[in-house]
Amino acid sequence: MSSHSNTLSTKELWNGGNVSPFGATYGKLMMWFFLISDALTFSSLLTAYGFMRHKFDDIWPKAENVFTHFPFYEGHIPLAYVGLMTFILIMSSVTMVLAVEAGQRKNQKQVAFWMLMTIIGGAMFVGSQAWEWFHFIVGTPEGHLREVMVDGKIVLQKVYGATMTNNEYSQSPLFAQFFFGITGFHGFHVFSGVIINLIIYINVLKGTYEKRGHYEMVEKVGLYWHFVDLVWVFVFTFFYLL
Amino acid sequence: MSGFHDYDPGYEFLAQHNETEGKQKRKQLWKVFWILLVITLVELVIGFYNSSFSPALLKVIFIGGTLFKAYYIVAEFMHLGHENKGLKITILVPYIVFILYLIWICLVEGVYSKVYRSFINKAPQETSAEHGGHH
Repeated sequence: MSSHSNTLSTKELWNGGNVSPFGATYGKLMMWFFLISDALTFSSLLTAYGFMRHKFDDIWPKAENVFTHFPFYEGHIPLAYVGLMTFILIMSSVTMVLAVEAGQRKNQKQVAFWMLMTIIGGAMFVGSQAWEWFHFIVGTPEGHLREVMVDGKIVLQKVYGATMTNNEYSQSPLFAQFFFGITGFHGFHVFSGVIINLIIYINVLKGTYEKRGHYEMVEKVGLYWHFVDLVWVFVFTFFYLL
Repeated sequence: MSGFHDYDPGYEFLAQHNETEGKQKRKQLWKVFWILLVITLVELVIGFYNSSFSPALLKVIFIGGTLFKAYYIVAEFMHLGHENKGLKITILVPYIVFILYLIWICLVEGVYSKVYRSFINKAPQETSAEHGGHH
C-alpha cells in the first residue's frame, strides 16, 4: 500500500505538500488582507456619499461648478485641475510598479530611482490636494446667499467658501462634509504612503534588501501605493465626474 | 534527507526574473499606463461636455470606465491577475459580494429617502409659518 511507504508523493499530501495554497509570502498576504479591510472602509464612505447624494439630488451642487480653478490661470476651466491630479497619481503608480520590476531584477540603482520618482509624485499629489482644499475653503469672492443658523434662528446670509456647517456651493452642508471626509481620508492615505515609501527608499539606499537577497518589501509597499491610486480612481469618478 | 517542514518554496525569490523577462514586463506595464491615461482623458472630455449627454448614459460611461481602470490597476499593477487562483478568489469574492449588497441597499434607501423627504417637506411649510408666528 502506497500510503504506508516512507516516501510520499506530493499529490497524496494535504494541499499538495508543504506548498502554500495561495503561493504567496506571509507579508504579501497580510498586506492584501489589510487592503481588503481598507477597501471596505472607503466603500462604506463612498456608498454613504451615494445615499446622501440620491436623497438630496435636487440641491446637490455640480462638481464642475465648484472645482473650476487652475494654478496661474484666472478663468473657468472645470475638471482640468483634478485631471492633472489624476495624471500625477497614475504616473506615480507606474513609477512604483517599475520600482517593483527593477527589484525583481535586483537592480538597486533603478529601484532607488523609481522609488524617488514615486515619492515625488505622491508629494505633488498631496500638495495639489492642499491647493484644492484651500480654494474650496476660501471660495469665490462673490459668495452665495444661504440660509444660515445664527443663535438658533435661520437667517439669509452671504456665505463664502465652505466649512463643516455651511458652504456657498449648496444649501446642504453634506457636499462639503463628504468632500472633507473622503478626500481628506484619501489624502491621509497618500501622505502615509509617501512616508512609508520614504522609509523603504532609505532602506534601498542602505542596501538592506541587497543583503536580504530580495526586494519583496518594495512590492508590499507597492501594493499599498496602487491601492491608494485605485481609491482615487473611484473618488475621481463619484466626486468630480458624476 | 529533508524533513516535511524544511521545504520552503521561497515565493519572494520565485518572483525574480532576468533582463529579457524584465523588458517584456515593462512593455506590458507601459501599455497599462497608456490604457489608464486614455480612459481618464476620454472621461474628462466627456465630463467637460456633459450637457450634451443624457445622465443615464453618463453614469454608464463613467462607472464603466472606472471599473475598466480598476481592473487594470488590480490585475496588472497589483499583480493579482498573475496570482494563484485561490488567492484571487479569497481577495475578490467576499469583497464583491459584500459591496454589491452595500451599494444596492444604500442607493435604494437613498432614492426612497428622497421621496420621503419631498413628502414631509410639504408639511413643514405650514408648520414653519406657524413657527414664525411665535416670534
